[in-house]
Amino acid sequence: MIAFVIRRVIQALIVIFIISVIGFAVKQSVGDPVREMTGISVSADELQEFRETLGLNDPWYVQYVRFLGRAIQGDLGNSFFYKRPATEVILEKAPATLELVFVSSLIIIVFSIPLGVFSAIRPNHFLSRILMSGSIVGVSIPVFLTAIMMIYVFSVKLGWLPSFGRGELVMIGGWDSGLLTVDGWRHILMPSIALSSIMLPLFIRLIRAEMMEVLESEYIKFAWAKGLSNRRVWFVHAFKNTLLPVITVGGVQLGVTIAFTILTETVFQWQGLGFMFMEAVERSDSPLLVAYLMFVGIVMVVVNTIVDLIYGLVNPTIRISGASS
Amino acid sequence: MSTLATFRESYLWYSFKRDKIAIASLLVLVVLFSSAIFAPLIAPYNPYDPEMIDIMNSEIPPAWEDQGTWEFLLGTDSQGRDMLSTMIYGMRISIIIGLGAVLLQAFLGVLIGLFAGYHGGRLDAIFMRAADVQLSFSYLMVAIFLSAVLQAVVGVSRFGEIAVPFLILVIGFSQWPQYARTVRASVLAERKKEYVEAARVAGFTSSRIILSQIFPNTLSPILVLSTIQVANAVMSEAALSFLGLGMPIDRPSLGSLINSGFEYIFSGAWWITILPGALLVVLVLSINLLGDFLRDVFNPKLYKG
Amino acid sequence: MRKITKILYAILIVLMMAGLVQAKTLKLAMDADPVSLDPHVQLSGGMLQYSHMVFDPLVRWTKETTIEGRLAERWERLDEYTVRFYLKEGVKFHSGNELTADDVIWTVNRLKNSVDFKGIFEPFAVPVKVDKYTVDLVTKVPYPLLLNTATYIFPMDSEFYSGTDDRGMDKGAIVKTDYSFANENLSGTGKYRVVERQQGVKVVFDEFAGYWDKSSPGNVDKIILTPIKNDATRVAALLSGGVDFIMPVPPQDMDRIEKADNVKLVTMSGTRIITLQLNQSRVDAFKDPQVRQAIVYAVNNAGIAEKLMKGRATVGAQNSPKGYLGHNPALTPRYDLDKAKQLMAEAGYAKGFEVSMIAPNNRYVNDEKIAEAAASMLGKIGIKVNLKTMPKAQYWDQFDAQVADIQMIGWHSDTEDTGNFFEFLLMCPNKETGYGQYNSGNYCNPEVDRLTLAVQSETDQAKRIAMMQQMEQIAYDDAAFVPLHWQDLSWAGKENLRIEPIVNVMNFPYFGDLVVD
Repeated sequence: MIAFVIRRVIQALIVIFIISVIGFAVKQSVGDPVREMTGISVSADELQEFRETLGLNDPWYVQYVRFLGRAIQGDLGNSFFYKRPATEVILEKAPATLELVFVSSLIIIVFSIPLGVFSAIRPNHFLSRILMSGSIVGVSIPVFLTAIMMIYVFSVKLGWLPSFGRGELVMIGGWDSGLLTVDGWRHILMPSIALSSIMLPLFIRLIRAEMMEVLESEYIKFAWAKGLSNRRVWFVHAFKNTLLPVITVGGVQLGVTIAFTILTETVFQWQGLGFMFMEAVERSDSPLLVAYLMFVGIVMVVVNTIVDLIYGLVNPTIRISGASS
Repeated sequence: MSTLATFRESYLWYSFKRDKIAIASLLVLVVLFSSAIFAPLIAPYNPYDPEMIDIMNSEIPPAWEDQGTWEFLLGTDSQGRDMLSTMIYGMRISIIIGLGAVLLQAFLGVLIGLFAGYHGGRLDAIFMRAADVQLSFSYLMVAIFLSAVLQAVVGVSRFGEIAVPFLILVIGFSQWPQYARTVRASVLAERKKEYVEAARVAGFTSSRIILSQIFPNTLSPILVLSTIQVANAVMSEAALSFLGLGMPIDRPSLGSLINSGFEYIFSGAWWITILPGALLVVLVLSINLLGDFLRDVFNPKLYKG
Repeated sequence: MRKITKILYAILIVLMMAGLVQAKTLKLAMDADPVSLDPHVQLSGGMLQYSHMVFDPLVRWTKETTIEGRLAERWERLDEYTVRFYLKEGVKFHSGNELTADDVIWTVNRLKNSVDFKGIFEPFAVPVKVDKYTVDLVTKVPYPLLLNTATYIFPMDSEFYSGTDDRGMDKGAIVKTDYSFANENLSGTGKYRVVERQQGVKVVFDEFAGYWDKSSPGNVDKIILTPIKNDATRVAALLSGGVDFIMPVPPQDMDRIEKADNVKLVTMSGTRIITLQLNQSRVDAFKDPQVRQAIVYAVNNAGIAEKLMKGRATVGAQNSPKGYLGHNPALTPRYDLDKAKQLMAEAGYAKGFEVSMIAPNNRYVNDEKIAEAAASMLGKIGIKVNLKTMPKAQYWDQFDAQVADIQMIGWHSDTEDTGNFFEFLLMCPNKETGYGQYNSGNYCNPEVDRLTLAVQSETDQAKRIAMMQQMEQIAYDDAAFVPLHWQDLSWAGKENLRIEPIVNVMNFPYFGDLVVD
């Protein structure tokens, strides 16, 4: 167990190192931050001088070594736009994205489990059929299209829900939360539904497939034979075994979800990390870009590790093979 | 061909005949793909020919609407291009990118999956960890990275010419782990089987064993995965173009068409974004439905990720 | 328990409603928020807009493009070099300090040190204090645009910004990428103070009780500024009632806003000319005036203005918009496809050629679509254009490097004067003097250079006008660049906002004067 965690930490460090190199390479080519920070009529000499003071004229490896030196001390540089440490900006924006991901995970869990289980238990019920075809349609509609349509219908046409931003926030210990006010919930509703619109159908199908497979297994047949009640077999024995692969996939899908937060946040002007990332690209705010990439890398490694740990706890063979290889 | 394969084919045909949805989606796909292939013959206009574009024709609604004209069946976009033709050509680009990206993914993923799975050990561990990292970085990041590199290499002004291979590269590179994992899983299952053991004892080289013995047995999961991946690739391309990282505006794909129409969504010119959006959904949906049918028939063990 | 919660909610709602009735709060959505609280950190429309809210200039432009006094009660020109300004007495900064001549001098000196403003204030010498409320602005050369430039002087509280802060740094320092006192603290003479600011998310402005201008009809005492970059989202926010006022308004949505109930649209001709530059150093054909003329004749800029800009732009044939001294009324747009083809044939390029083109995609209104349209128009005379568009952050680097044969640029004259266009866009590029810094066409005509320099120090109005109109004429005849249009300025808000009186051609609505019914 400890060996496993240590191995993972080392792997994580390697991953983050690679990401920082990639991030740095990207940074070189997303544009000139100096032009973003100055008025258009500033002379070429002034611009050059300004670049010099920011150290942007040095070869990229010199800049990278300098960056690495500071990064080891936890300083990822200042965001050009926010004029503050990039890590600080990321921590400030993270709650928005985490809340968005949280609420849409909630939506996914609340809907996918009952619907998935139902369609597995009653595969020929007409509701199951509708659900299955509906979920394919859901998977086939791009997130941004769903988001645009929702704004058009619910904000502009009906005027029920706000079309942008997070609404009223409450600050609790450095965490700007929108989940404590009615206004905040009104704002988070559409973005989180849009975000879950791709994952929800996937999860319904996944749960159904896993559940059906489990129901076929010897173990369940044995449970039936023992004369256990339907409910007990379905919800205690079969469902428990369905969860494991679902958790694994959930972890893997997180990367995809992060990509989709970029799309969702862009359409809804949701002030989270995805939105910040796109803006940083447009503003060539390179320190912020690098910091974001590293942050996402860390989150991914952590989540993957947790998923593996859970998997390992439930199914010890994985851990053993992981340790021996 | 072994008897097993023939049996599967006949079973495939048998189930296909009974599945109305599968038949319908195949029909739709045939229509869409052939109109994409024969776009120059089918499309009423050539959207790339400046002679046929007149700014004064911009934003004409579809023929059935007020002020619509039969000259432009589905209306025109903001540049005065015929929507129908632009959509057909756009779909052609989307399909080329989708198929190209899947070929690349499959090539990389199958190769890595076969060798990592067969050899195991350190090589396997490295590749699978790389797959983790790769999956955690969405195609979006890969796109931004590669586009930066490529622009530096070919120069900004020639970027339009390499946009299609670029997108194929981006989507291909970012999704190979799906194949690698699926193939690796089947290899791990096959490796222990007797026929492989027999081949090894008989003194065949490992690459020969992999290619001639194991590979054919991974084909059905690859086929099923490929249909889903084509749909995914088309969607990824749309997302990239929507964020402005994809096709240039004068060679639009379905995604960039939706993107350029997005600004018009509130202004009444709904057809500029809704029509390509609908076409995209129909295209992806029918691929997905077909993939679903294949999955049911073959029932392979896919790596669910 | 639940009853109590309900009652509490009811009380809360009543209180909120009561609050709404009393306070006139303006929810404002713009495409960007101020990048800093320090007005000298960047010269941009957004920062000047912000400056008008929390500071006040010595003088400002009126709706009729005349100049009116703000902190300067009156002024007089003493000689070719000097204008004497008499400050209003008793004007208080937010800190409580009183505005004096020293603050003006301090501010001009700071401007001369600001990377962004030093260019504009280059002709200025150190101002001279006459007495506590009187100051002379002095230029090194005879300078006809002194008053125009004075619109950029927003006196800052010199006492407040002097000394060192608790980090031991100079409070007056201008810092672009890091913390500075001025980036985060503020004391101006303006109507509003910043009470809350989350960069990129929102800025809350509150009325300053000691504001000097009691005669202003404005009755907005709180402004909440939210940046919404995406055009469609910004419009949706207004239409769904999320905000009260938006700027700018995308042309494609203007009709819809005009037709919608409860919201109204105000537009005005703008002064930013959108142009294409044809690089003569990269393409030999562009050295031939006939080819350049052919291109100007081929580009249907009237069509672009009518269709892409929805008629919300003024078709251009020169740099200077109507109202500028240098505007030459004789110059008219010249779209004529047949003539264009004929010119191409005469120049020996009947078969055409292939060129590259770049344009930004988030800088000017519909920039990407305009570039695309222009590219296909050139296709009609056989010039095949490979177009690449990109975000402005990447664009200017590429523009400077002149990576493409045709490059788009829009220009607004900082001085509201014709000369500025020529200094930056059309004078022969010269690294030493810095003239022609944005002339990526490498157009070079000694006569234009001579006139542009002469105009700079010509204080005789009639002579200046004649020279500047001649400059426009030469550029027109030479087809020095492809003029497209001046994009309209646009604002939209709820019906109960009196928008018209506060807007102006500079695109700085004076929110201090806004009346909400």
